[in-house]
Amino acid sequence: MTSTQGRVENRQPGYVPADNSQPPSRRFRFNEWLDGHARQLFITPAVVMILIFSIFPLVASLIIAFSRVRLKAGGYQVRFVGFKNFSKQIFGSEQFHFLGTFTTLTFLGWVVALSASAAILWWMYRYITTGFSIIGFIGRMITAIVGLGIAWMFAGTFFSGNPFGTLGVTLFYVFVGCGVQFIIGLGLAFLCSQPIRGRNFFRVAFFIPMMITPIGVGYVFRMMADTTKGPFSPAWQWFGLNDFAWAANPWTARIFIIIGDSWQWIPFIFIILLAAFENIPRDYVEAGQMDGASNWQIFREISWPQVMPVAVTVMLIRVIEGFKIVDLPNIMTSGGPGIATESMSLHSFFAWRSLDLGQSAAIAYLLLFVTVVICVSFFNLIVVNRMRRI
Amino acid sequence: MKSTCKSLLAGVAAAAVLGTATPTFAGEFDGVTISILTRPGPVIAGRLVDRGKEFTEMTGAEIRVNEVPFAEIFQKLLTDWATGTNSIDVGVFASGWAVELVDGGLVENLDPYIAKDDKIDIDDIAPYFREFNQKIGGNTYLITVDGDFQMLYYRRDILEKIGMEPPKDWDDYMKVAEAMNGMDMNGDGEADYGSCIFKKRNAQSYFAIGSIAAGFTQTKGTGEGLWFDTETMKPKINNAGWAEAFRVYKETGKYGPTDELNQDIGDTRALVQAGRCGLVIDWGDIGPLSIDESGAAIRDKMGAVIMPGSRKVLNPATGELQQCDADLCPHATDGVNHAPYAAFGGWAGAVNAKADQKVKDASYAFLSYMNQAEQSNVDVTLGWTGYNPYRNSQLNDTSKWIEAGFSPEFADNYLGAIKDSLNHPNMASDVRIPGAQQYTGVVLDRELARFLAGEITAEQALANIEAGWEEITDDFGRDTQKQMYKLSLGITN
Amino acid sequence: MSNVSKVPRRSLFDRLFEPPRIGAMAPGAKIIVYTLLLAWSAFVLFPIYWLLITSVKTAADVNAGPFFIPFVDFTPSLHAWRELFIVDYADTLRAYVNSLIISLAATALAVLVGSMAAYALARIRYQPNLITILIFILTMTAALFAVFSYGVDWRIVLVVGVGIFYFFSKAVASRVKVPLANGDILFWMISQRILAPIVVVVPIYMMFQSVRMLDTHLAIILTYAVVNLPIVIWLMYDFFNSIPKDLEESAQLDGATMIMTFREVVLPLSRAGLAATTLLVMILCWNEYLLALFLSTAKAQTMPILVAAMNAGERGILWWSMSVVIIVMIIPVVFMAIVLQRYISKGVLLGAVKG
Repeated sequence: MTSTQGRVENRQPGYVPADNSQPPSRRFRFNEWLDGHARQLFITPAVVMILIFSIFPLVASLIIAFSRVRLKAGGYQVRFVGFKNFSKQIFGSEQFHFLGTFTTLTFLGWVVALSASAAILWWMYRYITTGFSIIGFIGRMITAIVGLGIAWMFAGTFFSGNPFGTLGVTLFYVFVGCGVQFIIGLGLAFLCSQPIRGRNFFRVAFFIPMMITPIGVGYVFRMMADTTKGPFSPAWQWFGLNDFAWAANPWTARIFIIIGDSWQWIPFIFIILLAAFENIPRDYVEAGQMDGASNWQIFREISWPQVMPVAVTVMLIRVIEGFKIVDLPNIMTSGGPGIATESMSLHSFFAWRSLDLGQSAAIAYLLLFVTVVICVSFFNLIVVNRMRRI
Repeated sequence: MKSTCKSLLAGVAAAAVLGTATPTFAGEFDGVTISILTRPGPVIAGRLVDRGKEFTEMTGAEIRVNEVPFAEIFQKLLTDWATGTNSIDVGVFASGWAVELVDGGLVENLDPYIAKDDKIDIDDIAPYFREFNQKIGGNTYLITVDGDFQMLYYRRDILEKIGMEPPKDWDDYMKVAEAMNGMDMNGDGEADYGSCIFKKRNAQSYFAIGSIAAGFTQTKGTGEGLWFDTETMKPKINNAGWAEAFRVYKETGKYGPTDELNQDIGDTRALVQAGRCGLVIDWGDIGPLSIDESGAAIRDKMGAVIMPGSRKVLNPATGELQQCDADLCPHATDGVNHAPYAAFGGWAGAVNAKADQKVKDASYAFLSYMNQAEQSNVDVTLGWTGYNPYRNSQLNDTSKWIEAGFSPEFADNYLGAIKDSLNHPNMASDVRIPGAQQYTGVVLDRELARFLAGEITAEQALANIEAGWEEITDDFGRDTQKQMYKLSLGITN
Repeated sequence: MSNVSKVPRRSLFDRLFEPPRIGAMAPGAKIIVYTLLLAWSAFVLFPIYWLLITSVKTAADVNAGPFFIPFVDFTPSLHAWRELFIVDYADTLRAYVNSLIISLAATALAVLVGSMAAYALARIRYQPNLITILIFILTMTAALFAVFSYGVDWRIVLVVGVGIFYFFSKAVASRVKVPLANGDILFWMISQRILAPIVVVVPIYMMFQSVRMLDTHLAIILTYAVVNLPIVIWLMYDFFNSIPKDLEESAQLDGATMIMTFREVVLPLSRAGLAATTLLVMILCWNEYLLALFLSTAKAQTMPILVAAMNAGERGILWWSMSVVIIVMIIPVVFMAIVLQRYISKGVLLGAVKG
């Protein structure tokens, strides 16, 4: 690593602080040494920790993903198997589990697949004809390929009446779940920022779910959703739903998991957006009221532009965390019915539990790939774009 | 069965004598700490803690019980022992899982310890558990603390009310379940369920399906093997018998709670105890649970019987289901082929081969203490311990059970059903080879869950299982797997 | 001042949704706002109420169907509390102490290391060479591959690897320079948060296993600290950036070293940011389950593992005991929140997010 003049070089060397009345001693020399290396000292611990506990495992995990790993007495036995662990997920015996079950595309499937493809190709075409840079092109190519893959995956499974796999489930949790959480969180923050009494109470009460361990939240919502002895079972029966079990239907099971996840995570979005709303100078809003603007107009024209940059970043964080969802489906349904609620993290976790470390790592890597592509696309194509427009 | 009872009175006497003997190794293990890994909760672990305190007083060895979720136990233990972390000295887990650990040389051979032990009275342990559950390849690696196989329980009072007999085969089962379904069985004014069988994914539904399938596919005795062909190690799963079992399992759901797909065994047991189930498939636990304080609604109302079998069984030659005859089902009673399934095999303790000798001695002494008739004959009668009978003295002497709160009638009925199952020549054995957990707990469980959820047909599920199992077998090595499988079936009673 | 008085004839609807004065709310809007907020409060608080009453129910109370009000529907009993705190107090206490040690130490470590790095990135210009980094990653991949797939002794690989890295960084990297900026380092560090724990946990597990550190506090502390480092760096970077540099500059003119400036000037100024960050990291560490499940077996088990352990499989879930554990887990977090609250000004998290 190379170094340049930093601001720290401006200090006057050799100056002894007034309170340090000791003569130059070993301690002093040590302090001087520390000071001389402050540039490195400040950042090295973080770099070293990340190298050891993030980069090193990341590379090791990649190697495991290309291997067959077996536990043997006294350690591990690792055999290189190439892309087998990956191809199994995408084309082989685990395809149904990761991508979903494919039969022939129905008419609706074709419509969705072709229109999504057309939209993505049009978007690429427009990019190439308007502005062009190598890095931008490569980045958009990756986004387009992943987008096409996901579109065809949903077209072949969901839109053709087949169940989809853990990839689809994860995307469902992330986009539907985070979407719902954002809308509710935003709404609550807006309401709470109004001049009303008891704001502190609401602020504290709404924050509580974030303090509960996710695994606890899973169990709490299993209690809530119990149709025989849970608190809502009388209501459930009153509605004549005796013969309907949420856990036996893939969609209701997924929705229940999203409800639990939202209960826990809306507070996070709420608390930050509330701060953003409160940060808007009251004069702006009052000026709007003076001009006779309706509440909706005030929100749209005055509050939203102020809150938008924060909202986008909060969503980015939430989406990143959303991809990691594992505790709730694990506790509430164990991934059932069938594999309908299994997220990719859970898929990988189950593979680990059956000691299939290679597959576990391969799925984890696929998750990482999808997360990175989607988050980076979101950041570059939406956040940066929006920021520029404002 | 009564004659067997009498002929084995000697066993009772032996137990009574043992009951008076007191352990003598006081202070022997001062300063030793035994770290035990097992499943959480009062069940299984709770009694280890209680008895551990007694053991500490007697010998000075400290017992520390570590609890991890059920699904993590095997993984934790294997990695802890295989990688040499060795923070666990004793694992208490399903006896079937031990094969893989023994295969890796991680488990202490306990035969020398048993030879020196004059208190364990090894011959009192029922032959199935002694020769089969505790042993791998002829050596004893495990000490049983709980004997497990599945039975059918029914509500005696309800059955009498509707004038039906306990089901013998699955057709009967459906009829009885249908008749009972919707009745109010606990007097709370709500409709209750005809049948309760746990069906949750990643839980224990693969044990229930084993119990159902065994009656359709295993006919020639324990040695035939339920899971694989002993000659080729080909899975014996993609056939009409298993397909029928899958359909039966799904059909029982029609008479069960609506959210049965998300019910683990604990959930069904809670329903049983609340008096909401007419028919139940379960291990021995329901007996003691019915006399527990929490089971007041079903006290003296339960009956037990050997697992239902089938009149039509798989003919391996034709691959079709066929009516039972003397050739096809040599062990059938009244034309019904029963194959009681030793699901799980029971909780058993194994000692880490890498532990210090002193710790190993103490560990064995503790397991022996748990197993000895004086302790276990009391423990098995308590519902909350999760321990089910495995000693002759427990099965033949009803007095301890009556003392615990069983009615004499139910004690006879309950122990009779256990003995019927345990002594059955066609008892079906659990998968007891390396990768056992992957075969059943992962592949079978997942495909079964998808079938129950309606994602795939039974035939697709079975074809997927066959492919998945072949992959696992090839991965571990077909020949070694075949050897291990044969060994695991080698001894029958 | 009232708008309404100026316009005499208005429909009821208009009057309901017209603010009585600027800066206040219309009565109709107020009703809607309160209704929505109270409805949400009920949604948020009901599960917690249910936790509280479940913790004083017996098995029979739970299994026999829903009971809502203690003393009316059912008789509360403290049996679950007694069981966890009197009968099995040793196990509960062990997990509790483990959790406290681990989350406090991990939080302290993450906040210390992270805010140092954040400060450095906010105040010093770094220019690492991309080529050096590439050489480093390639060498590490080759080394790991040798160890895992060919079973070469890791000590040999370490020595050879360091040698190769040193040689190439001298030979190549000193000639070809592709300098990166602080923004790149920052992005690299923050992007570590994208990693789902499941991606890295198996190698981390193997790593601790090979140095015999599985099931120790230190292993979990280090892992938690690193997992949360990106959050600290991100939040604190923005916070440090928002502090005017004048104070530090004058301190440096007075001859204070960088370390002293950081300790005596910067940290006290950023108390609010530190408090918010500490609270957030503390909550995340305290509640983490998956990594703890991998890295602990017996001695280092934490509270979330204890929660999971209350699912007793065959005997169902011990809802009553589980509720007790969850409630007990919330208490220290609330306590922390109250203690740190006076340091947390409204805009701390906001500043970072606006970044």
